[in-house]
Amino acid sequence: MAGNATASAHDPIETRPLIEGTHTDRTINDSLLNHVWRGAGKGWWLCFTVALGMLGLLVITIGYVLVKGIGVWGNNIPVGWAFDIINFVWWIGIGHAGTLISAILLLFQQKWRTSINRFAEAMTLFAVMCALLFPLIHTGRPWLAAYWLLPYPSVQGIWPQFKSPLVWDVFAVSTYFTISLLFWYLGLIPDLAAMRDSAKSKVKRVVYGMFAMGWRGSGRHWAEYKWAYLLLAGLSTPLVLSVHSVVSFDFATSLLPGWHTTIFPPYFVAGAIFSGFAMVLTWMIPARHFLGLKHVVTMRHIENMCKVMLATGMMVSFGYLMEHFVAWYSGDPYEFSVFFKVRQTGPFAGVYWLMMFCNILVPQVLWWKSARNNLVLIWFVALLVNVGMWCERFVIIVTSLHRDFTPASWGSYAPTWVDICLFTGTIGFFSTAMLLFLKFIPAVALTEVKELRHEIEEAH
Amino acid sequence: MDEAFVPRRFVVAEFRTTSALLEGTRKMREKGHTRIDTHTPYPVHGLEEALGITRVWVPKIVFCAGLAGIVAAYSMMVFMNAIDFPINVANRPAHSAPAFIPITFEMMVLFGGIAAFVGLMALIRLPEPYFPTFEWANFEKASIDGFFLSIELAKDADAADVSNDVRIVGASDVQVIVEPER
Repeated sequence: MAGNATASAHDPIETRPLIEGTHTDRTINDSLLNHVWRGAGKGWWLCFTVALGMLGLLVITIGYVLVKGIGVWGNNIPVGWAFDIINFVWWIGIGHAGTLISAILLLFQQKWRTSINRFAEAMTLFAVMCALLFPLIHTGRPWLAAYWLLPYPSVQGIWPQFKSPLVWDVFAVSTYFTISLLFWYLGLIPDLAAMRDSAKSKVKRVVYGMFAMGWRGSGRHWAEYKWAYLLLAGLSTPLVLSVHSVVSFDFATSLLPGWHTTIFPPYFVAGAIFSGFAMVLTWMIPARHFLGLKHVVTMRHIENMCKVMLATGMMVSFGYLMEHFVAWYSGDPYEFSVFFKVRQTGPFAGVYWLMMFCNILVPQVLWWKSARNNLVLIWFVALLVNVGMWCERFVIIVTSLHRDFTPASWGSYAPTWVDICLFTGTIGFFSTAMLLFLKFIPAVALTEVKELRHEIEEAH
Repeated sequence: MDEAFVPRRFVVAEFRTTSALLEGTRKMREKGHTRIDTHTPYPVHGLEEALGITRVWVPKIVFCAGLAGIVAAYSMMVFMNAIDFPINVANRPAHSAPAFIPITFEMMVLFGGIAAFVGLMALIRLPEPYFPTFEWANFEKASIDGFFLSIELAKDADAADVSNDVRIVGASDVQVIVEPER
């Protein structure tokens, strides 16, 4: 270990470098911008066409919902909430990894965040947009949604009910989106300046220059900038924890068996980060290969992400365990029935067991170092975790609603084609946005990588 | 306002390394030069001290904005739900502090975050698409891999003197920039 002269030699436990190879600021600049400057390849166009097709599906389906009304969805009493809120919670959760990586790991001074934060933050933004779509459409007339959601002085003199978690949600999610956007853009400004200055064509110079707003790397600017960035990270950290807690309150404050539980906030947050890291890995593993980013997104980054996924997966498993324990320990027959009968053997038992398989069993493979170095395996694990976390929301929402207290009010649920097309469509929107991001904006925060390289060099 | 155009003049110098830039900045300040700035692709540790920056304003702005967010959110909810139009739901108190906490928190974050961004932009006066230092083609490196020092010259200052000074403290390349009339 002693003779290890890699980039991370100051940290005796870590042996793998954060930046592979020998670089200067110039080579980092050029290698990280290369994927933006070179023209789009066939692979990109192929992915983009598919994504755009799915986005088209989304637009058409939204149009159909607006014309026909939300009655075309499968949810109806007793299952009054279904795909809309499942997808909302799923997408919001995916966004959480971005904020965790960019803000929480920054505060903990985890240097490995540097190569993946920009990518994960972009993912956060697009995931939150997908999530916001569902509550917006479910109002039926989204162009009037502002009147129902935001406090404004109406002629009726009535105000939102601030004791309702659904109103908390409006504030939490819109704040989350705003802050994520500001944080992302603030971090991007020096990179945009670098793009302005290394662009070859006049048009690119002007366009990137506009977004860079005349940034000139001034020492006086950096002094204030560093504080603004740090404070945004400091604000985002409790924010990200609050957002999914508030989302979980939508359920936890009700009396429905399966929802009425105090473990929801921490267990939702852990699940959010779990699914978010899975989504980062799902995209990062192919992206680092095709964009030529292997020297900055190294196996050490991948391995660390796997460890976070394993840890949060264990937290989620613990959440499941406690949920079942409390249902038994409470002695409440309704709770007991939901947790020990309906979920395992009811009409949606398949989804329940798939969730257990994907969220508890599958991540266990990451205990092995060899598994954490097998990219194909990790990719499939991440994909299954995404599936598992979607199933979790389905289990929580649908199985709890379709069997409540009185057998007379029991019912069932099946999604319609509209539900399925809307969900597929948001995946299309997300993919389109990610592909455009990877084409026009450097996927790795080059200023921060240069700074990291400088720090590592100084440390020697 | 029919003022005659007075071009801003700068002496801009490139340094090879961050440590040379740090030393150069410190020495130029010791020589009594004011209106010094540095231009680097990433924040360099120690530059603030070298430039003599002792206080920053962003934290204070964010703190005040956060406080304003708390006050605005809480008073909004009390006014709307407890004073202007109380609705009795299952006899719960109209002014219910625990239920008002989440939105109070979110508004603190929202106000603080927006203030961090907008406050920063106001303090550093961006967007400012044009700055005279951009006239020097070599200055492009300031966002890529170059380390620069710029000194804005006073009206009667001699550019040659300042250029000399900056060469003595270790600059590798020096350029005098005069803002062109547009």
